[in-house]
Amino acid sequence: MILHILNRSPGTSLVYRDTLSAMGPEDRLLLTEDGVLGALTSQVRHFQAVQGRLFALREDLVARGLIGRCDETVQVVDVDGFVTLTEEADKTVSWF
Amino acid sequence: MASTEIDRYLTVVERDVALDPEGYLVNLADWSPEVAQAMAREEGRELTDEHWEVITVIRDFYARYETSPAMRPLVKAVAQALGAEKGRSLHLMKLFPDSPAKEAARLAGLPKPANCL
Amino acid sequence: MSSPSDANGDLLIILRHAPHGSSWLREGLDAALVAAAFGKSVSLLFQGDGIMALIPGQGAGALGQKGTAATLDMLAMYDIESLYVDASALDRFGMTPDDLQLPALPVDDATISRLIAVHRLILTF
Repeated sequence: MILHILNRSPGTSLVYRDTLSAMGPEDRLLLTEDGVLGALTSQVRHFQAVQGRLFALREDLVARGLIGRCDETVQVVDVDGFVTLTEEADKTVSWF
Repeated sequence: MASTEIDRYLTVVERDVALDPEGYLVNLADWSPEVAQAMAREEGRELTDEHWEVITVIRDFYARYETSPAMRPLVKAVAQALGAEKGRSLHLMKLFPDSPAKEAARLAGLPKPANCL
Repeated sequence: MSSPSDANGDLLIILRHAPHGSSWLREGLDAALVAAAFGKSVSLLFQGDGIMALIPGQGAGALGQKGTAATLDMLAMYDIESLYVDASALDRFGMTPDDLQLPALPVDDATISRLIAVHRLILTF
C-alpha cells in the first residue's frame, strides 16, 4: 500500500486527477493543507474513486474552520494518525 | 558553476585572464588553447595529445548539452568519441588526477560540473 | 499499451510541470542527474503538463533563461533511458509519441500505479 499525500484543493488545481490516476487499488489518499477542501461534502465527489481510502488531516481542517463540514465518508486523522498511515505504507508519494 | 568573483589573474600571452577562487574561468569566452596550457603549466603539467583530445570531447559535450559533465557521462562521451580503450575512468584519472571531470572542465574553460563530488 | 520491462529501478521521478513557467521541471531533472551521477538507476515519468518537456523545438526563455531541451538530450549520457509518458495527457493535448523529442513509452493509469509500486523511491516535481 502506498500513501499518496495531496495538498491542493480540487477547486484550484487539477493535480488531484493525476493523483487519482496514479493510485493503485489498495493505495490510500491523505488530504493535507489546502487539499482538505476536497474533504468537504460539497467537494468530496471528486474523490469517489477512492472512497473508504480517503483521509484528511484534522489540524488542517480545524485551522480552516472546516472540521464540521468534512464529509462523513472521509476518515479524519491527526498528526499522530498521519504518522501511523506513513508507517503502514510501503512508501509515500507527494502531490502538489 | 563558475562564480563571478574574481580571485586572481592568470597572465596568458600578455593578457590577464580572470580566474575564480577554484581556478575556473570567470568569463568562459576567455578560453583558448594557450589558456589551457597556462593553467596546466601552473600545476607543473604539460598537455599531451591525449589531454587535448579529452578537452575537445568535453568542450563538444558542453556545446551540445549546455552543461559540464559529471564523471560518468564524461567517461561515456570519451568512449563514444575516442573508443572504449580511452573511455575508462582509469585513463581519465591518469590524465587528470584527483577529479578528472572537474579538472578537465577547468582546463577546457568550462564551468565546474554541478553534479559531481 | 506496452508494459515497462525494466521498471524496477532505485528512483522514479515524476515530472508534472511544463518548462519555463516554474523551476519544478529543471529541479526534477537536476535531481535525476545527481542520482544517476551517483550510480542510481533512474526512471522518469512525464505526467500532466510535464509532457510539454518532451515537445521538440524549445528554446531559451524570454529573459534568456536556459531551456530544458539540451538537458533532456543529455539524459542518455547519464544512462537515464527509462522514460515514460502519461498516455492520457498526450491524448488530452492531442499529441502522439511521434510528436516527442525523445522515445518515451506511453503508459496508462494502471501502468503508472505499477511504476510507482515497483520503484524504491518516488519523487514528484
